[in-house]
Amino acid sequence: MAQFQSYNKLLVSGQEGIVNYKTGDFVLGFVIHCQYPSYRGSYLSCIQEFKVFVDGEEIPEERMYFHLNGKQFLIGEFKDLYKEYWFTLDKAKLLVLKDGGLEEGSTHAVKMTMKHLIPYTGYNGDYLVLDSADEKELTVAGEVNAL
Amino acid sequence: MNRQIELSLTLYALSGEYTTGKYSLEDCLRAAHEMGYKGIELVACQMIPEYPYPSKKWMDEFVAMLKKYELEPVCYSAYIDMGTHPDRDLTREEIIESTLMDMTYAKYMGFHLVRTQHAISPQIFREMRPYAEKIGIRLAIEMHAPHNPEVPVWKEFLEIMKDSDGWLGVVPDFSIFAESPHRLHLIQAVEDFGCRPEKVDEIVAGHRAGTDEETLLAGDYTEAERKFIRDLFHDYGDGHAHLEWLDLVLPYTFYIHGKFWYLEEDGIDRTIPCDRILPIIRKSGFTGYMASEYEGHHFSDTIDAREQLGRWVRMSNRILDHC
Repeated sequence: MAQFQSYNKLLVSGQEGIVNYKTGDFVLGFVIHCQYPSYRGSYLSCIQEFKVFVDGEEIPEERMYFHLNGKQFLIGEFKDLYKEYWFTLDKAKLLVLKDGGLEEGSTHAVKMTMKHLIPYTGYNGDYLVLDSADEKELTVAGEVNAL
Repeated sequence: MNRQIELSLTLYALSGEYTTGKYSLEDCLRAAHEMGYKGIELVACQMIPEYPYPSKKWMDEFVAMLKKYELEPVCYSAYIDMGTHPDRDLTREEIIESTLMDMTYAKYMGFHLVRTQHAISPQIFREMRPYAEKIGIRLAIEMHAPHNPEVPVWKEFLEIMKDSDGWLGVVPDFSIFAESPHRLHLIQAVEDFGCRPEKVDEIVAGHRAGTDEETLLAGDYTEAERKFIRDLFHDYGDGHAHLEWLDLVLPYTFYIHGKFWYLEEDGIDRTIPCDRILPIIRKSGFTGYMASEYEGHHFSDTIDAREQLGRWVRMSNRILDHC
């Protein structure tokens, strides 16, 4: 699809880098940020598939928590979230579980892929379903202990 | 100067700047003012942070900004997100709820027009007419490619508009008149999708010469090039704009989406034949706003939208002032 293509670059947010998520003395994992890849926002229920790869390795779905609108969701819950609107400018925080996190200052290839339905496009019956992908090199800078 | 047709800016034209954080909403409004626009269109699901339920506070701030930048709220663009639920389409109740609420938000912010979409269905569209009249908001369906006035459902919509005493209408989008690919589409085919440049030229020449889709697809092309062929026929039809469609929609037109993707410095749109479209609109007696709807941001993030908008405004004024 020629339309929408340019927005794929929004998916992996480069600005925030990677931050480790620390609880007490334990680093539970790391946080990366993502933005919905379109000119407008959408409902999480329109996201059919969402995958994350770090340094080429796919993160298992059960090791990712998706934080948006002051709430947190499992990827498997997306299909039911028809009242959760992902606003155009909002960066969702993705907490990836990894004991010890990632090394401060190290750089990683973060890739995200998303299959998402454009909910207003049923012009001739079928909805447009886009495959968006984006990859950026992100550096680990700092840590947080709350989202 | 022709002032029968005023130019407005749909803030959507600045999507590239807005989504990347280069422009805030206020920057978009300031840009509209600086470029000389008198009115704006707001795409609700794009720029309202609490969408689909804008707060009073946000709306008050938005209205204050419109006043500050001397901009008239011309069109509130609503969506019918039929595919929100993975297992079913929106119900009648859900469509009515979102449409009614959009009309109230639009009213609160001082808009007189809500643009909705075809999925509203003829039946619900007709039922909204009393609300339109009571609230004092006109409701119009955008006619966007691949739709056109000859699509069966649109024949129904046009009949309903005809009997609505001016409360229900259409927003034609110039995408329905697109007849040949713009520069950004060709660059994208090569740079993003890996089509061979000489093959892209060959395909475009074939499309322009009237070769049909099946014949072109049978040529010696890669999968990316075959996809490009299918996109060409999807986006630009048989290569000839059906200007006769204007007569079918202009009597019920409340507002116009002056869609464009890329203009060269000479200010001639080679994708959408504005040189032939705008005189027909002018002669029809249409009065109201026509929005500059730059949409190249779907294809490239390296183009200066303001420069493109400037070219489009100059083109429109040149044509409208001489017909």
